Amino acid sequence: MNEQNPIPQQIPPRIPPVATPSGVLQLGDDPAEGVPISNVVAAIDAILRHPRRVMFQLRQPNAGKLIVMMMLVSVVCSLIYGVVAGTFSGGDQLWAAPSKIAAGLMISALICLPSLYIFTCLSGSQARLVEVCGLLAGLLMLMTILLIGFAPVAWIFSQTTDSLAWMGTLHLVFWFIATIFGLRFLETRFSHSNARSHAGFHTWVIIFLLVAVQMTTALRPILGTADTFLPTEKQFFVSHWGDCLKATDNELKSKVRE
Amino acid sequence: MREQSEKLNPHEIGTLLRGDLESIAAWLERWHARRLALHLVVIIFGAGLYGAAMGWWRDPQQALYVAIKFPLIILLTTMGNVLINGMLAPLLGLNIPLRQSFAAILMSFTIAAAILGAFSPVMAFMIWNAPPMSPQAVSGATYSLIKLVNVAIIAFAGSTGNVRLFQTLARLGGSRAVAFRVLVAWLAGNLFLGSQLSWILRPFIGAPNLPVEFFRATALHGNFYENVFQTLQQIFND
Repeated sequence: MNEQNPIPQQIPPRIPPVATPSGVLQLGDDPAEGVPISNVVAAIDAILRHPRRVMFQLRQPNAGKLIVMMMLVSVVCSLIYGVVAGTFSGGDQLWAAPSKIAAGLMISALICLPSLYIFTCLSGSQARLVEVCGLLAGLLMLMTILLIGFAPVAWIFSQTTDSLAWMGTLHLVFWFIATIFGLRFLETRFSHSNARSHAGFHTWVIIFLLVAVQMTTALRPILGTADTFLPTEKQFFVSHWGDCLKATDNELKSKVRE
Repeated sequence: MREQSEKLNPHEIGTLLRGDLESIAAWLERWHARRLALHLVVIIFGAGLYGAAMGWWRDPQQALYVAIKFPLIILLTTMGNVLINGMLAPLLGLNIPLRQSFAAILMSFTIAAAILGAFSPVMAFMIWNAPPMSPQAVSGATYSLIKLVNVAIIAFAGSTGNVRLFQTLARLGGSRAVAFRVLVAWLAGNLFLGSQLSWILRPFIGAPNLPVEFFRATALHGNFYENVFQTLQQIFND
């Protein structure tokens, strides 16, 4: 029992990842992608540094835990960013803005999930509904993590400017940049799914952007203040933004006159 | 094996949407009652949910009516043309039994209904954001936008269903030319009956100055084509 094995244990040589004829590595070819994501920190690290690991893990049978983790991070991060957005007006907006931003993101994702699944199937991808849910959760997590990165900048501006239009534009720009990175994550997965065409995915991106942008109008005010928690008048975002810009323009003109 | 094939498997809808022709052709060879039930469920829920979202703008009661009417049009069109479609297929060179032609058409409607159902949250969100239906709203840009989005979604769902139907027919018949002939014939029949059924079952979006009702009082007076003809006459007489 105590004798040592004279024959040294052989370590099997690592098989180098195999690339497809097109030069694209298949998911799971890199052994590092097979390492399970066990906690929230690992999930954040993976989506930023090794998104393919997240994609591979979402294909595994026990992906539910990872999806829940990613959703949790998305909610927490959007709540934090919401508090920063709420500091522009202060008061009730400190709790109203975070709840609206978090709820708005989740509802937008929920509204667009069925169409994403349909477009994924129509493009010929073999992704299951659970995997599509996971990819959407990954998109939300990446978006909201990036928003947290922008939060200090947004906070500084919210403390120094009074212009609602300016702050609104700034938040939209941050959201847009975060969304582009989130969508890039989704598109990378799409490229690995044997999809015949990306046209459906691009159509879905437009739908998602429109729904998310409209959500900012449906849940207004997020930055400014109002007597009611939700708007009493229904409007499409184009007309709402037009009204905001007109109001800012009038405000500027009156300031110049003074 | 038998147990598996008889299970109600929602993943089959994914197979249909992907256009996995091998599986679809195998399904058409042996039709199971449970698969038929699954397709009916998808049509009733998918088209129903989309109809509800569409009718909600006028009134919740209108939403309920349209949720019933939308799947009804699909099912009545399929049933109404089952015989003629089954006869046209062999006459145009596609020698498949009536059961297979019925199953193929039902599959294409199932795909369309699944797409409509998937878009129903987007449509509901759009309606929720629209100002309440009023004579002003109906004459404004909102009404036009809602109509346009509806047309785009329904057209997308319909065309996707028909593309998959064409691929299935080409696989069954082994010829794209034959598949195209059969598809055009089926489409013509389905559009002809479907338009009239939609005319009878109007309204869908509804009008603010008219009461919410399942059928208009004039539902069975005249027909769709007569109305189109009269409209054209008015245009040219003016």
